[in-house]
Amino acid sequence: MPRIPSIRLEGLSKRFDGIVAADDISLEVKDGEYIVILGPTGAGKTTLLKMIAGLTPPDSGKIFVDGERVDNLPPEDRGMVYLSQTYALFRHMTVWDNTKFGPTVKDWDESKCDMLAREMLNLVRLYDRRTARPDELSGGMKQRNALARALATDVKILLLDEPLRALDARLRIELRYELARLTSDLGITALHVTHDQEIAMTMADKVAVLRKGRIEQLDRPEEIYDNPARPFICHFVGEANFFEGTVHSVSEDHSELEGEEYVLRARPTDLPRGSEACVGIKTENVRLLDGVVEGQNHIPAKVVRRLFLGRLVSIVIETDGGKMLHVKMPSSIGVKFRKGMEVTAHLEPSKCIIFPIPEKGLKEELEVE
Amino acid sequence: MPRIELKGITKRFGEIVAVKDVNLTIEDKEYVTLLGPSGCGKTTLVKIISGIWEPTEGEILIDGKRMNEVPVEDRDLGYVFQNIALFPHMTVLSNATYAPIVKDFPVEERDKIAQEVLDLVDLLDRKKFFPGELSTGTQQKAGLARALASQAKLLILDEPMSALDARVRVDLRYELRRLVKDLGLTAVHVTHDQEEASSVSDRIVVMRAGRIVEIDSPENLYNNPKSIFTANFVGEMNFLQGAINKLRDYWAIIELRNQEYLTLSNRDFRMGAAIILAMRPENLRVEELRGTRLGNAIPGRIESIRFMGSYLRYEVLLASDDHVFVDSFTGEEFKEGEQVAVSFDETNILTFPAPREGLSEVIKLE
Repeated sequence: MPRIPSIRLEGLSKRFDGIVAADDISLEVKDGEYIVILGPTGAGKTTLLKMIAGLTPPDSGKIFVDGERVDNLPPEDRGMVYLSQTYALFRHMTVWDNTKFGPTVKDWDESKCDMLAREMLNLVRLYDRRTARPDELSGGMKQRNALARALATDVKILLLDEPLRALDARLRIELRYELARLTSDLGITALHVTHDQEIAMTMADKVAVLRKGRIEQLDRPEEIYDNPARPFICHFVGEANFFEGTVHSVSEDHSELEGEEYVLRARPTDLPRGSEACVGIKTENVRLLDGVVEGQNHIPAKVVRRLFLGRLVSIVIETDGGKMLHVKMPSSIGVKFRKGMEVTAHLEPSKCIIFPIPEKGLKEELEVE
Repeated sequence: MPRIELKGITKRFGEIVAVKDVNLTIEDKEYVTLLGPSGCGKTTLVKIISGIWEPTEGEILIDGKRMNEVPVEDRDLGYVFQNIALFPHMTVLSNATYAPIVKDFPVEERDKIAQEVLDLVDLLDRKKFFPGELSTGTQQKAGLARALASQAKLLILDEPMSALDARVRVDLRYELRRLVKDLGLTAVHVTHDQEEASSVSDRIVVMRAGRIVEIDSPENLYNNPKSIFTANFVGEMNFLQGAINKLRDYWAIIELRNQEYLTLSNRDFRMGAAIILAMRPENLRVEELRGTRLGNAIPGRIESIRFMGSYLRYEVLLASDDHVFVDSFTGEEFKEGEQVAVSFDETNILTFPAPREGLSEVIKLE
């Protein structure tokens, strides 16, 4: 079996008419890793992928595969395949011919092409549909056909541009497991871009959060979730509530933020006393208690809205000071909280993440588009 | 006061039957969602309600009046499009004024209405922007304002979130339900996303292969689905296959593969009958494997552990050869490969007669 390749990006930059799509991006992808590049629309995700694939030339920067520079090579010589959002299957060709297209253009001999096509179609469970044309397939099948075609070229680097976006929500849940399993079984290094944080959390070995052409954090999903590098990430991955104020006190095991209404205890910080800061807490880390309960980091509030989401309920509460807080909890617990009820929000200090106030203000920092 | 009645609606496109004998009543001021996988007929049905397509058979009534052959512009409805479809060369304000102009409202009223609807979606400060200058989420809010400006009491939402990023959708669904309820509208919303459907709707119509599978509140569809298809489609579900092995007045023993057993209350089971057991990942628990087993627990091995944000997801291969997902919100510590027990709470297990065509056929999504 050929070895699994690694990828290294060094200082990739790209502008379109003065708009920065990639701003000095450096990234190391180890062999066999599944990296998800997560970001909102317009973050530069597709541009990054296309630069790696050789479909868009970067203004500056270098791309290495296994230590060899490839950014001067044409796309077909980079040992990678780019799978677009739209799958781009040939409409007049059958599933079989579409799949065999990849190895055939590589000029391999007929029996090897047949073997690869058969193997890959079996793998994506489409061999039985090999005589169908794309129009006769469902969205999920088209996606799998495109994947089989890409894999049949025997490349070991897969660049996936929102591969699940066009699929139904329920099917997406199933295919994300399949896709992750497939790449790991085949020993493939994958870069997958998406706007969907759930996909990132469930599929990635590591997540790179991209915003305005910059990688803001590269880490394991757990770290991105538990230790976000900045308020935007705290809010984008999951959903969070924020409190603004000034650092009131700092100790080894906690800090205190003084806001307009209350003093909140949060995780420790390096920020000096008196500096402007904000505290973020994920919606699912806010606990709701019945009635008014006095205590550290307890905020009295009233339930103003409850939405049933299935596994979870989403509850909006309004504090006495008129601040809206969002809370998410398992439905089995959430059913008892009804509109108008008096509650107390408990914000566990170890879940309260403290950040310096972002340069352009908290509101702009948190914008997800 | 739009109350919609569909009676025996069938729609054929050549050989293909897109919708088959659908009967459905949507009450005035109700928020109803048509939910189902691609190709289930939900879009066809909403286009028949709006008058974009005529049914091949059947009757459509709005407020008791027959609407067949009444063109879309005479049905008095606001339409929010999947692809947003704002007029790109017109400002947000002009887009919002469009319907009042087409409807020939008096000049002085047009502007007032447009201002009002833009205020409702919190876009007054962007009224001079062109669509291209706005984010997609904001564009769709403008699309919503344009639909509301028609002053129609019936709002059609045709996959309104599908062009938006996941994170933006979450914010918009609060907005949608609030507006529909505050303005006392009747809303028909089409989506394939169960979470979106659950969060906005009073009732959800689950569709598959041109037919209605079941209609119920979001809570009931999630907690007590009447069909295996719904159980799987609305949220994630684990399925086990078993057979009734012992039957008493109040309880029954279910035999799984490899001589594993679960005890359930007797729900009018028949001795020997094959059944499907269904349980949500969040209703199962992973526990330490002990020598003696108490209650409903089946040994298994942890195949994988995934971090899902607020919870951990264990994939466990049970001794009965079934794979189950178990979601844990409490964060106890188990390792991949560890031998554990999965415990089942009897009250959270749904049961269905085993379908003749097989489980995988019944839950198939495409």
